[in-house]
Amino acid sequence: MSFVENLAQQLLYNPEEPILFNSAFFLYFFAAFLLCYQLVRNHERGRVWVFTLFSLYFFYKACGAFVGLVVLSAIVDFYLSNRIYREENERTRRGLLWFSIVINLGMLFYFKYTNFFIDIINGISSGHISPVNILLPIGISFYTFENLSYTIDVYRREIKPVERFLDYLFFLSFFPKLMMGPIVRAADFIPQIYKPYVLTREDVGKGLLLIMGGLFKKVVISDFIYQNFVQYIFDDPTRYTGIECLFGVYGYALVIYCDFSGYSDMAIGIARWMGFVIPPNFDKPYKSSSITEFWRRWHISLSSWLRDYVYIPLGGSRKGKWRQHLNLMLTMLIGGFWHGASWNFIFWGGVHGAALGLDKQWKKLGLLKNAGGLKARLWKIGGVLFTFHLVCFCWVFFKCETFGGARDLLHQVAFNFQGGLGLQLLQAYPKVFVVMGLGYLLHFIPEKAERQVETGLVKLPLWGSIAVLTLFVWFLNEVKTQEPMLPIYLQF
Amino acid sequence: MPSGNKHPYPFLITLGTLGCLGLLSFFNNSFSIAGHTLRPLDVLADLRPVEAAAPADSVAVAAVPDSAVSPLERPVDYTSYTGILDYGYNTGRQGTGMKGFIDALRALRAGHRKKVRIAYFGDSMIEGDLITQDLRDSLQANFGGKGVGYVPATSVVSGFRTTIAHSFSGDWMDYHFKNTPPAGTELGISGHVFVPAPQSWVRYQPVRRKRLNEFNEVSLLYGRGRGDVSINARHIKLQGQARINAYTFVTDSTERAVTLRFNSEVAAPFYGACFESSNGVFLDNYSFRGISGIELGKLSRRMWKDMQAVRPYDLIVLHYGANVLFLPENTRFDWYEKPMVKVVDSLRRLFPETSILIVGTADKAYKKKGKYITAPGVKALMKIQHNFAESRGMAYWNLFSAMGGEGAMARWVEGDTALANRDYTHFNFRGASRIGALLYKAIMDEYEEGQL
Repeated sequence: MSFVENLAQQLLYNPEEPILFNSAFFLYFFAAFLLCYQLVRNHERGRVWVFTLFSLYFFYKACGAFVGLVVLSAIVDFYLSNRIYREENERTRRGLLWFSIVINLGMLFYFKYTNFFIDIINGISSGHISPVNILLPIGISFYTFENLSYTIDVYRREIKPVERFLDYLFFLSFFPKLMMGPIVRAADFIPQIYKPYVLTREDVGKGLLLIMGGLFKKVVISDFIYQNFVQYIFDDPTRYTGIECLFGVYGYALVIYCDFSGYSDMAIGIARWMGFVIPPNFDKPYKSSSITEFWRRWHISLSSWLRDYVYIPLGGSRKGKWRQHLNLMLTMLIGGFWHGASWNFIFWGGVHGAALGLDKQWKKLGLLKNAGGLKARLWKIGGVLFTFHLVCFCWVFFKCETFGGARDLLHQVAFNFQGGLGLQLLQAYPKVFVVMGLGYLLHFIPEKAERQVETGLVKLPLWGSIAVLTLFVWFLNEVKTQEPMLPIYLQF
Repeated sequence: MPSGNKHPYPFLITLGTLGCLGLLSFFNNSFSIAGHTLRPLDVLADLRPVEAAAPADSVAVAAVPDSAVSPLERPVDYTSYTGILDYGYNTGRQGTGMKGFIDALRALRAGHRKKVRIAYFGDSMIEGDLITQDLRDSLQANFGGKGVGYVPATSVVSGFRTTIAHSFSGDWMDYHFKNTPPAGTELGISGHVFVPAPQSWVRYQPVRRKRLNEFNEVSLLYGRGRGDVSINARHIKLQGQARINAYTFVTDSTERAVTLRFNSEVAAPFYGACFESSNGVFLDNYSFRGISGIELGKLSRRMWKDMQAVRPYDLIVLHYGANVLFLPENTRFDWYEKPMVKVVDSLRRLFPETSILIVGTADKAYKKKGKYITAPGVKALMKIQHNFAESRGMAYWNLFSAMGGEGAMARWVEGDTALANRDYTHFNFRGASRIGALLYKAIMDEYEEGQL
């Protein structure tokens, strides 16, 4: 194929190669976008148009024709929220709100959960409805929640609806957060559209750190240990000993964190460069010393969404102890189900819900109120270890496709541990464990060290930033194209 | 430090970085630092014109059986044929390909003999009775027979094997291919020999599956020397004269499980137990993870002979390859070919009348430029395996083409229903089940062909 044909091929949607932040294509896309953005930087409408068009193109590159769904849902919610806002009659307002909720959730359920329910119906009635072949449109879980929070906020009269449709489409399609969140609130985001595009040195430096940090987490830590170790363990846990499975789970805890938070960081960093401040989505979750604290640090935009739009409307803690436990449980079950259409995700949410309830009870006992000094520190360390392992236990169900797989893995850890193979395990995958160690080390280094790197980047002159980013991408290329390591047996 | 609006910075940083990376891509940037060769960087790779595909490898040579008695009417290309290629006709001694085994099946069907046995050797691909359980089950469903065949004393995959429930004490000493047994303790054909401690035990229990739900004939395989073992509550003394001996008993129908306790201080080495019924087809799974097959050369001639006396086999299957391909781009396997040919030659000499089937390597994919493709080593290995099967008058089954040929492993891993694991090497239970069915069909095609 010629250069021109290749170029055309590259610009079209290819289901086998959807756009990713860590692809070479994204670099070109981003440069073209930044150029156009520069050209219209003093013109508010121009910025909105450029950003929206590039976002919609990004959507198209990520999931083809499904880009139409974003536009469609933006039209519906823009119109409905304006109607809700203007409407005086409470019953009509409520009716319109429910209509919006049904449409949004209906779309999400159709694309994400149809086969799950077909399975259940088949199970109950021993029927044979064939599963339907539905592709999940990328980002639908995220923009559905954004639509819902917007409409509900308008209904609660907490915000005024946007006046221009394009502004709403811009908010919904904002490409940095398209694939993996964070779930942004219209109330925080939309006012920033109307501000002039001004960047300080700090914005540039912080943005650069977030983008590079995010890429590092995703490509160097997450992808590397997943491809070279973790996936082998989860594929077939029974072939490995308990200690391999345990380290596979420790590895997966880092993989899911780095994957998820890496994407979020990139999104937040890119947004920062475009003059938009989005609050952090992850705050070193494995430092938590209780499960309640974990949920304040893990996927913050989701947990705060669930708090504001599920837990509090259910009654929160205002309707007595048992209702609070029930509300926590329901909220977490919904949170689990949001992650994916399987019983494993629901179970994952259920265990977290139960743990949150128990944690509330435990705190009420107030056993540690007067503990100080060494005792408090030991309790804290114990709490961090306990919370980490509880979260890891739940990750097993999150990751495994079936309960059987999760059971096999836990069985190996409990009954076939073979701790004596520890050293051999480290020797079998040296690079993986170095990267894993680095990942956890970076997670636990004091905030101060991070600030220092940030200050360094903020102070860099332009050519310095270019040099740093060039070397960094070169390094990523080195890691990304490494030949995968193959699993090694420790026992014969 | 200049202050003010830095809005052009993101654009300039991105453009500058792209420019630098573009420049780097134009030069040969793959150089070595301290013994580590950097990977080439090419930000324009996706835009470069695609090069024409390299000409197909020269391994695609048609296999033309040279004998006039060949049932193959036209030359068959071994690289793509999905059935069994029987080269038994090449050696002059008919029956050494598949024929001996097929005749044995016919004799079994006609009631002229009671048992037909298969020894299926392999690596981790058949661990936990994968592939073999499906093949065994289909054969037993067709030709009769109940029971799982050989089971070792201890196993790293006992929890994974679903065709028998198997547990054991932790005090067994397991000598095998990968450690060195002391003088006088000889490895069995499974590649293991188990030495019990004074209180060692092993427990076998049938599982709730058709043809596997109760024990019938049980044989204990033990080595030279005295032994003292209790079978459930019954106490027996073993006295082994040969390198390998069998103590066979029929289980009491009131007892489902068999628990063996080894009592004496000085005990004869134990090799495992075999579970069969009085007649039918029986398949022994001899899996040993991580080996290429050349390890079979470590077994003594006498051990093979004694084993054949105790437990005669009508078909020996050798299913290896995954551990030969640990460097996917390597296509030279001298280290493997010579010792493997030696193994095959000695098997041929030891068992001149026994059918031997070489199962060629499965497809194995590796990551190249971000995509999983068939490793170049696969076809080179396939050729070696085919050629020794052909020249030694054995039967050959091309697993690579049976599973779909070029790119099959990537499809098996990435398909809607995954049939293989993410190491792009091992089948999962679904994939293994399919392989078992394919091999069964290939064998039945041979069986039916002669009947026409």
